[in-house]
Formats: sequence, structure tokens, C-alpha cells
Amino acid sequence: MNKEFQTEELASVSRRNFFKRTATVSVAAAATILTPATVLADDENIMHHTKWGTTLGDEINKNPYGVPSKYEHNVVRRTSALMSSAGDMHAAISMTPLHELNGIIVPNGLHFTRTHNGVAHIDPTKWRLMIHGLVEKTIVLTLDQLKRYPSESKVLFVECPSNGAAEWKGPQFNSVQFVRGMMSCSEWTGVRLKTIIDELGLKPEAKWMLAEGSDGSEMSRTLPIEKVLDDVMIVYAQNGEALRDEQGYPVRLMAPGWEANLCVKWLKRLEFGDKPWYAKEETSKYTALTASGKAIQHFYALETNSIITSPCPEVPWTDLKKGDLVEIEGLAWSGHGTIRGVDISFDGGKNWVEASLKGLVLPKAWTRFSYMHKYDGKPLLLQSRSYDDSDNVQPTVNQEKKVVGVEGVYHRNAIHTWAVNAKGEVNNVQIRS
Amino acid sequence: MFKLDRKSMINGTSAFAASILLLSGCMDGSASNNDTSTKTVQVSKDGSVSNNDTSTKTVKVSTVGVYEIKNKTAIDGGVTYVKSDGIETAYRYNQQNIKGVSFGRVATANEIKAWDLDALPDGTGLPEGEGSVEDGDELYEAQCASCHGDFGGGGYGYPQLAGGNQDKDKNGIVITLKNQRLEPGMDAPKRTIGTYWPVATTLFTYIRDAMPYATPKSLTSDQTYAITAYILAQNGIEIDGVEMDDEYVLNAEKLAKVVLPNRDGFYPNIDGPTGPADVKAFFADRAKNIGSGTRCMTDCKDPGMDGKTEATVMKIGYEMKDVVPAYSTVRDLPPEIENSLISKAEKQYNESCKLCHATDNMGAPALGDIDAWHELMLKGKDKVVYNAIHGMGGMPAKGGNADLIDSDVKLIVEFMIDSSKKKH
Repeated sequence: MNKEFQTEELASVSRRNFFKRTATVSVAAAATILTPATVLADDENIMHHTKWGTTLGDEINKNPYGVPSKYEHNVVRRTSALMSSAGDMHAAISMTPLHELNGIIVPNGLHFTRTHNGVAHIDPTKWRLMIHGLVEKTIVLTLDQLKRYPSESKVLFVECPSNGAAEWKGPQFNSVQFVRGMMSCSEWTGVRLKTIIDELGLKPEAKWMLAEGSDGSEMSRTLPIEKVLDDVMIVYAQNGEALRDEQGYPVRLMAPGWEANLCVKWLKRLEFGDKPWYAKEETSKYTALTASGKAIQHFYALETNSIITSPCPEVPWTDLKKGDLVEIEGLAWSGHGTIRGVDISFDGGKNWVEASLKGLVLPKAWTRFSYMHKYDGKPLLLQSRSYDDSDNVQPTVNQEKKVVGVEGVYHRNAIHTWAVNAKGEVNNVQIRS
Repeated sequence: MFKLDRKSMINGTSAFAASILLLSGCMDGSASNNDTSTKTVQVSKDGSVSNNDTSTKTVKVSTVGVYEIKNKTAIDGGVTYVKSDGIETAYRYNQQNIKGVSFGRVATANEIKAWDLDALPDGTGLPEGEGSVEDGDELYEAQCASCHGDFGGGGYGYPQLAGGNQDKDKNGIVITLKNQRLEPGMDAPKRTIGTYWPVATTLFTYIRDAMPYATPKSLTSDQTYAITAYILAQNGIEIDGVEMDDEYVLNAEKLAKVVLPNRDGFYPNIDGPTGPADVKAFFADRAKNIGSGTRCMTDCKDPGMDGKTEATVMKIGYEMKDVVPAYSTVRDLPPEIENSLISKAEKQYNESCKLCHATDNMGAPALGDIDAWHELMLKGKDKVVYNAIHGMGGMPAKGGNADLIDSDVKLIVEFMIDSSKKKH
């Protein structure tokens, strides 16, 4: 463990060789700008006709369901044996490539995925939802019947509470995809649960709701009624189309801002009761053990959080030259409400400046932030710190550690640090004692 | 829309006043000794952070994303937004009368009975039936040990079910759970059923619904009681002061009486009539209970757990590089994947058999293990195919995939035999 931060050392942090593309661009860019215009070499890509400009393209509907350009084949979810039991990829997690995304909507094929017993494939004509327990009238719905209820759509982030869990004891992955990729943000469409519940009639003694999935793990969780009657939805669509199998096709629960694990996929049953159920995933897991030896249970909302996605280890500044004005960009989100603002530090948290928010700023959704920076080639310890309208401010590693320790697994939201060295390479480090 | 904007701005101003208070000074007079790295900081015009006077610190008020708040202490410690005049935050909602919208039908009593299987901690919902520790031992060895280890002791990367020291300190805290790996080489807290789980009914429900892993819901209630009994016995659990020996028979009544060692190891309280209110009170004090930051803007100190040691930079010690697919941001044409060369049998092997047969960790003969397959083939190929179709020992019929037809299983077995022969 290195206790002393020295800029020289930072500059010599081990190279990664998967950025050959940017290295090439860097050489080209330097040549273009430093050489007098009169002796610039002509670009082959401009001087000659292209293959795609001199041939007939594909027929209009060659791909009835469109696919990404084949040049984008590296823009994919990634996983690691560390994210599974014994490398078994049926109870595992795959990460969203945050560094490749733009705006706040994640394409459905790149949405992070967590399964406890593999991805289930449900025949929608055989799917049923049952609502029962402490209600005046029970109900069984088919998918077509559920879709008959008035719908609503909301842009919401979904995050596994384990997001960043590999980092409790120190930095491990040199990648934004693995540091914060257990989350995505989509427009979800479905029925507000209250619409159905009001019609069924909730008995006054109902305090809790059990939501149960129909996959092999029968994933189930208990939610408090207050949330159920506030903004919980039963969703069947994601970004305009049916949910993907990986996201719980045909129907999942959506508890805005709360643990993705509570947004039960492949939903089959909702039961209302006067006591919590103590399901396996709210006792043995998804409880946060603190240094006291006791664990926080029913830990619902994801804290306010943020991450700089440009630069990052995958998207370094190796192509920049001194004096370039460059945008620092990232994502902020909070399960407690709406992002109010984001601060940026260049010196590992000693001094901070305000970033700008940009684009849509919605409750419980990803929010983009931006800061224009004049690159001067000096090493930086780059951080972002978000705050929301519930007055929640993202803590430092030390501030978080002091209250909950390092064994909690879940709900880690400490300020993240990227070390930018003199070459513009970006590495994952932590500021902690 | 104008109405919304005005309302938002008015509310935004008052709501924002609260967050300005979060800007703490961190100006306790100690001189900053920052060197080169801090000189790169540019204080933005928007931020307008002054250098020395706390009272002049202001942040430009922005109205983006500022919505009218109804309640600042929702049960999760967050906000609840006002819903009125067809507007809720940035969204318009349907204001038409939806009372009376009703589809679907009432559930039958049998349907509820078929699906309502989850038991409560007091035993409500547990089915009839019983099973002994001894029967559980046999079932466990055949169906569970390949993943969870002998006696629930783990070792194969899947959750360890038993073991760990259940001793408590004078405050009733299970001592192992206080372990914190603050430095490399320190012991981890041991989280097994005996040291961590709060209630035993969870174990029954989970085994019955979700286990065995590859063939969930294949156990009867009696078998589930037996396996539950065996796992509790391996954890040294006593029921009503009675030790669970081999002859011990578990049923609903006895399971409801189990008090696991870590029953009181969780907070906030969720039980009883005050449960939801206790949860709300807990999350309302986030700074104390969960940890929260402060919006310090200049010369910020970040002392560690001892309150003194300033933070330093920790680099990656051992980088986790084992990712799939490998890292790349290159824009080029993908390598040709010769999918056509993979036979149907190999695809089906990958889907239904590989989980257990990729290595011999689970006790199954591993693909490519020449000796193991040679020994197996001494029984004759027909017998091996028969066992694959009908199951044997820990292996479920057709690897747990009932959709496979017998002739497919035969082709898969032939693929596995071919892949486990000596190559010439």
C-alpha cells in the first residue's frame, strides 16, 4: 500500500495497452496541428472514394430488428468470475459499459444484468400475476389484462446495491465499467401499483408487501406499504419495447430509486401482510454488516452518487496536448430524490469547484454533469461529489468508512478518484487513510 | 407550463436554502501545504468560492431539476414529491377519472394455495410434513454437497452454510461479525446460517423454492424439512434446548421455535406495529446511521477513523483483469466467430451440462478428463446414456433440463465421450 502520493510515481503507474486506438489518433493529431499547413499530408480517407460510397448498400429491411454497426462490437456488457459463485455465470452479474454511453438512456442490450438462477425465458401467454393477502379482493391478471390499465412512463436508474462493492477495501479494477457499471437508466412503462391496489381495496392492517419472482430462484423481497402507495410501478416496457429477458420479461416490479434487487424481475406474485417475510435476499444477503457487528436491514434507497466517465481508464487523455480545452463529463444519481449539483476536485478532494448539470434533470434518474477544463499535462487526482434535494452529500471514503466500516458489501457511494498522470493515462486510485 | 415554472422556482429557492447550509467551512486556520497538484484548480465563476471568508461563500442557485417537495422524510430518508394539477416533478400525469378501471379476475382458493408458500418467521405458512437429520444427511450428500461442501462447510465457491464461531461478546454481538479487513491479511467476518442468518423459516422457504440450484422446486416438503434439519444440526442449533442428533425429526411446529444465534443482529427494527416508523426514523438520520458527506469547498480535511490521519493515495494492489469479453475500445471488424462449427450437441452441452461437468469440482466427471471417462465407459456406453437420461447420484435426469429429448441426451453424451478421449 502506498502511503505517499508522489507525482513522479503517478506518472509511472503501469501502462495499459488496450488504448492503441487513441495512441494512433494522438500521433495523427500531433502531426496535423504542429506541422505548418502548407506541408500537411493529404488524408487518404478524403482523397479517395470510399468502398461504401461506390457500392450499393443493404436492402432497406435486411435487419427487421436493427443491430448496431459491426464496428461497435466492443461496446458490450462485461463480467468477471469475481462477480459470480465459482465462475458459474448463472448467479452472476454483467456490467454496463458506462464509458461508451451518451445521454441518460442505456440501450436495452447494454443494461446491466444480475441473475440468481440464470436468465428465465417466460412464455407471455402463460404468465400470470396474482395479488392477494390483506386486500378486500384478490386478483389474477394476464399480460394483456395488465396492459389494459392506464400506463405511465418514467425515466429511472436501476442500480444493484453491490455497485462498487469490489472497492470497499481498496481499488481493484482499472475500469469505469467494473468500478460503477452495475447500473443503467431507462424509460420504464407500466402501471402504477396504486392504481390496481385502490381498486382491490387495501385492508388497514396491511403494512408490508411481498414481491416474488417466478424464475428458478423465486427471488422475493418485502417492501413497506408507504413506498408501494407512493411511486412503485409494475413495468412491462423499457425504452419503448418489451422488457428484455435479462430485465424480467414480461413484467418486473419497479421501486424508483431503490435497490434493483427490490425491483423483482419475472414477477408473479404480490402479497400484502402485517409482518415482513424475512426472505433469503433480505437477510443472508442485501443486508449491510457494519463495524459494530450488526447489519443494516431493509436498506432501500441508493445513496447519492457520481462517477466521472470522461476521462476514465478506458477513455484517457493520452491524445490531448497542453492548452486543449476539454470537457470532463460524468453521471450523478440519487435514489433519495433529484440531483441538485455536482462538485469537481482536481487535487484529491482538498479544493472543489462546481460543475454544470446538463440535459434532463429528473428525480431518481441519471443526471449528466460537465466541466470545461484547460488541460495542462500535470498529474491530477480527479473526483466528483454529488448532492441531492434531500440534502444528501456524497461522502469521502473515510467519511463512509467511519460510520459503516468496510464489510458492508452494499450501498457504497464514496467519492471516486481517477489519477490522471503526466501522459494523460487514467488509473483507479482511492484517497483514504 | 408557465405555472409549473413559477412554482418550481419558488420552491426551488426555499429548498435550496437548506442545501447551502451544507457548505461547511473547513477553514480551521491550518495552512494548506498543497503543492503542484492544487495549483491546477480553477475556481469557476459559477462556483464563486472565495478564499478566506466563509460568510461570502455562495453557490449560484439553479432551478434545473428542482421540484416541489411534499415530504422530506419518506420512509427511505429521501423526499416525496407533490402531485397536483396533473403535474408530478417533470412529468404530467393522467388526471382523468380512472376509478372503476378493473380487469382480471379473483384468484381461486386453490390458486392462492399453490403459490402462497412463503413462511413467516413465526411459522405461518409452513406446510405439513417432517424430516429427520439422518434423511437430510443422505439428501444433502446427494444433492447439495457438490456445491456447498461436506457438512455445509463450503469450499467450492458457493455459499458456506455451516461453520464459523458463534461466540458472542458481552453485548450479545457475534464476535466474528465484528471483523473488518482494514489491512490485507486480516480475517473476514464469517457469514453462515449459524453466525449470520436471523430466522430459520427463511432456510426452509428458500430450499423449497430455489434449491437444488439446477433443479429448483424438485424437493417434497418432507425432503425440505429433512435437509433443513440437517443444515441446522450442522450449525449446532438446539430447539427448545434439545440437541439435533441424527434421529431428530423436524416439522413446522419445531422449525418455528428455532432461535438462530444472530436473531438480534440487524437494525433498524422492522417487527411489530412500530416497524415501518422505526425504519423511517433510522433513515431520517442518515449522517449518523449511514454516513454522509459535507460540501466543503476549500482546504478540506479528510481525517480517517482515528480522527487525525489524513487521507493518502492508495493504488491498485492486485488488479482484477480477468474480465469477459476482454477489455477493448477499438472500432474494427469483429473476428469471425465460427459458430457453424459448434454442433447442436455441444450447444446443448453448454446450456444444460457444462455447469457441473466443466470441472470435477461438483463431483461430476469433467469434460476432457480422459481417466474419469475411461473408467465411466467400463460400464458400457448404453448404461452411461441411460444414467444421463434418468439421473444418477447427484446428477438430475437430463442434467435438470426436462425439455431435452432422449435422442438429444444421447448425442450430448457422445459429444462428451468424444471430447474426453485420448487425442491421437
